[in-house]
Amino acid sequence: MKKIRKMSFAAVTSIIVVSGALIITSAVQAKPPRSETQIAQERAALMTAVAKGDALWHSAKLGNNGLACANCHPDGSATNVHTWPKFQTNLGKVGTLREMINWCIAVPMQGRILEYDSEEMIAMEAYATFAHRGVAIAPAKDEQHGAVPVKSGPGYPRH
Amino acid sequence: MKKISRRQFLGMTTKAGAATVFAGIFAPSAASMLGLGGVAEATTKKIKPFTFAVLTDAHLYDIADHKFDHILEKAVSDVNSIRPRPDFVLYAGDLGQSGKKDELLKGKRILDKLKMPYKIIPGEHDYYLDMGKAWRGLFGDEHWSFNHNGVHFIGMNSILVPDFWTLKGLTPKERMGMMEELECHNCGAWGVGEKQLDWLARDVKNVSPHTPVIIMTHSPLWDYYPRWNFQTYDAPQIRETLRKFDKVISIHGHVHQVVYNEIGNMRSCGLLSTSWPWPYPPVELEYPHIKQRRADPGDFEDGLGSHDIALDADFGGTVHWREFSDLLPDNIKKGLKV
Repeated sequence: MKKIRKMSFAAVTSIIVVSGALIITSAVQAKPPRSETQIAQERAALMTAVAKGDALWHSAKLGNNGLACANCHPDGSATNVHTWPKFQTNLGKVGTLREMINWCIAVPMQGRILEYDSEEMIAMEAYATFAHRGVAIAPAKDEQHGAVPVKSGPGYPRH
Repeated sequence: MKKISRRQFLGMTTKAGAATVFAGIFAPSAASMLGLGGVAEATTKKIKPFTFAVLTDAHLYDIADHKFDHILEKAVSDVNSIRPRPDFVLYAGDLGQSGKKDELLKGKRILDKLKMPYKIIPGEHDYYLDMGKAWRGLFGDEHWSFNHNGVHFIGMNSILVPDFWTLKGLTPKERMGMMEELECHNCGAWGVGEKQLDWLARDVKNVSPHTPVIIMTHSPLWDYYPRWNFQTYDAPQIRETLRKFDKVISIHGHVHQVVYNEIGNMRSCGLLSTSWPWPYPPVELEYPHIKQRRADPGDFEDGLGSHDIALDADFGGTVHWREFSDLLPDNIKKGLKV
């Protein structure tokens, strides 16, 4: 107990010191508004991830029986990205979109699952989510949802 | 007689701008059709009642003992069990997945287990590796017609796209790979093309307007969701060529789902696959009560199946979507009258 109290005291002290430092230096260290260039670069980084996810989504290499995610989920449809986390019968628990992606890779596609924080998994999540931009978050909504309607092209801006 | 609504008779769909334009251009012939409505039904030629079955979209892979092989085999057994036995079977395309001869050979071996004759048309998955060479070698003509018990049957290849590969220098495998994607970014809209339109006009020229007609294509003959080629770009011309008939039943694969539409004298039925069910695209359906419930991805047979279509003496049809696991709404469990 004594030790914890000591640590707490130290922590409180450091917070005060840090806060003080922040107050003192805020005038010069405040984050400036992002430039148009920065915003464009950040947007481009997301679109790179979306494009990578698109390629993986349509690749039979994730599975072992020729199937790709896109066989059943064209344009990321029926992934219902806006409804997760939710109880999913096949997972048998409350799970996330990434867990469902791995379930699909492992079961219908008979493939090897991805690390949850891998670049590939994040790219696939980026692709499926971007295909539903503007759709309201609706946890546990039990209804199949299409992606945003697309007339032609990849369905997202290329750069 | 089913009452024809103004929208159906004008050949309109609420979302298909092009169809609306056509309805305007061809309004005079449509008007004469309305005037004849009751009479035409009465004079439709009597047929000898019969049943035929339909299978489609097996998407077989060149992988031994693949799960889709077993699903097609199950569908073939199911069709063989239908009583009274169907007179023949129609197959609406996409027997293979990547256009490989071995996929098509495997498919033919399974289809040959049908206890009745079958007629088949190609889908894009059968075609774009060698531009249909292997398919034609196994199955013959890409378009055909025949008469059976008083009904005129037509089959056409609706998956022809303009050349997008030569300028890009794509290999046949790359071309096929692009066409395999439902949302292909570069392939464009497909249709039957001028040659088949001319053939169709010649084929039906001397067929009486009171003859019942059934046409099968891989893709829908209406603008459902062009993004996924749930369309046939020259469908308006096909519908116009067939407009003289009292009633046309159109059946199509490609959509892997239960879907229905009516335009003018044409009643269109979308069919179940034996591979995977597609989700419904993000558009309003004209007949939203004729669709299946969502499938369970853990059940590999959910939303798949075969079909039989029974025709009575007056060319009244009853379409049965024979799903392996029942995802049909109550109103079409016993079939849909078309």
